[in-house]
Amino acid sequence: MRKTNIRLLLLAAVGIVGIVTSCSQMKTIPDLPGSHPKVLAVGQQVDCSECHKGEQNVTLKDRNSFSHTPVFVKNHRFYAASDDRLCSACHQGSFCNDCHTNKIEMKPSTVYGHRPEREFQHRGNFMTLHKIEGKLDPASCYRCHGRANNERCIACHR
Amino acid sequence: MKKTCCTILCAASLFTLPAGVTAADVTVDSSTILGIRQSDIEGAKKETLLPATQFLGLTADKLGDGNMSLHFYGWGRADLDGKSYNDDKAAGNLTYGYLQYRFKQANTNIRAGRLFIHEGIVNEHIDGISSRTDLPLGFGLSVFGGATVHAADIVGENSDGRGDAVTGGRANYHYRGLLEVGLSGVYESAAPTLLSRVTRDYRRIGGDIWITPIQTIDIIGHSSYDPEIKKFAEHSYLLNIKLVPQLVLTGEFNQQHDQSYLYPWTSFTAAVLNPNDKSSSVGGRLLHKVNKNLGVVVDYKKYTREFGTAERYGGEIRVNFADNSIHGGIGYHYLNAGQGFAITPNPSASYHELRFYATRDTRTYFAAIDVLGDFFKDSIYEENRAWEATASLGYHINPALALSGDFSYGRNPQFIEESKALLRLTYNMTYNAIGGKK
Repeated sequence: MRKTNIRLLLLAAVGIVGIVTSCSQMKTIPDLPGSHPKVLAVGQQVDCSECHKGEQNVTLKDRNSFSHTPVFVKNHRFYAASDDRLCSACHQGSFCNDCHTNKIEMKPSTVYGHRPEREFQHRGNFMTLHKIEGKLDPASCYRCHGRANNERCIACHR
Repeated sequence: MKKTCCTILCAASLFTLPAGVTAADVTVDSSTILGIRQSDIEGAKKETLLPATQFLGLTADKLGDGNMSLHFYGWGRADLDGKSYNDDKAAGNLTYGYLQYRFKQANTNIRAGRLFIHEGIVNEHIDGISSRTDLPLGFGLSVFGGATVHAADIVGENSDGRGDAVTGGRANYHYRGLLEVGLSGVYESAAPTLLSRVTRDYRRIGGDIWITPIQTIDIIGHSSYDPEIKKFAEHSYLLNIKLVPQLVLTGEFNQQHDQSYLYPWTSFTAAVLNPNDKSSSVGGRLLHKVNKNLGVVVDYKKYTREFGTAERYGGEIRVNFADNSIHGGIGYHYLNAGQGFAITPNPSASYHELRFYATRDTRTYFAAIDVLGDFFKDSIYEENRAWEATASLGYHINPALALSGDFSYGRNPQFIEESKALLRLTYNMTYNAIGGKK
């Protein structure tokens, strides 16, 4: 019984030392700034490598991986899912929620009809195409309309 | 509730304008859109619709001791003539509204309110609280919990089929710049019983990975597992190779197990999902940045389902000039898909797609044109093409305030002829600042 108590005490002591050591190290962990330190002209600096040469950011990922090339924009879901902290340094949440939201009032391509260079889904007559695209890749529908943003889908799909 | 939300949004938009002007740390983004639509459907009454929609975003930074911020975004709509959707003449939605406290160390933050959660395999929308921090030795931790945001009204049901509470989190570890791995999970309370469809409890666990073995290669992706069915739900992975600065090659692999991945989809009854079905896609893209003003992308993707395979290939050319004030692009894609993917009774779902767009943005005016055409191998409802052209013209009243109008016309199998117009008034305080959403 006494040995058990001593072991528990030792374990608690090690735990406390571990927590104190960890807390003391928290200050040494690099912190990502809440926003990009230098003011960027919106829509202009899409290539991180223009300023950052071969550096890793605070999240220890290569900054150049986040350069907004047309390929990055197509694949941005992978990057955002892994580390949206870097996204939020430059983008407000509403930038993402233009498309990714729980309840949408009109197609993003309609809201931003004056910005055709932005990659919006469902341009033109997608009402016809969705009957093909939905069979082709149902997961691409489900990601946005599976558990939310589906009130208008349910009107027909019952 | 909808009318209240709409009223609050409209009222808030009036109050936030002067507030934003006087407070340096408050930014406001506002878009007011007046749409004009006419529906002339055979057998139905001809109707003119005039929906007025207000989108409003507000961020108040450096509150309290300087580490707190308030974030708000939502929309409200009032129909000035006709009913644009369902029986309601007004609608609204609070997309997010939360307070965030950001500590000065270790990327630690706490958020409370209505917010989105993106952590590994988790993508949730909650009324609740979330917290995230980095830990020593390369570890990190995030947790969240709260009430599910119910946003869909299913006709004839009193629920959207989702449980009322949701909780979860992610633990991660990174080793230098070479590797990051994460374990994440989400647990939703028991799904309510619906009258017209089968529902099932929503629980997921999964892992995500980011590997950079050398600086020019990234491998990113995740796999999720459904403990209810005891099968994998999804594998989704991306390989990104920067061959040279001007040349980027990506490869992508996705596979979903239909029953476990799609089962919570309330748009479809579970009866149509074959327990053995899988959906897979594999493909790649090659980007060549010819110079600062010109980029070329070619892509290929193959889709595999139980009832057949299909492939899509094509490319696009993008240009920009005059410090990005002129953009342009032209693209072509062909989908080669058989009867399994076709709209009944067509023997093929194949179609060509062509797109062209151009924009010009100056200090005084901005203009855009966008043309999209789809040309079907087999006619759909006796139409062999669908196309739409949109023209937009706007005027910068000042750097933050702009008035613009769009007009679009098209023909398609669904509506034969379709024309739409809208007027847009935007007030964007972040037009040249950090966090801009332009």
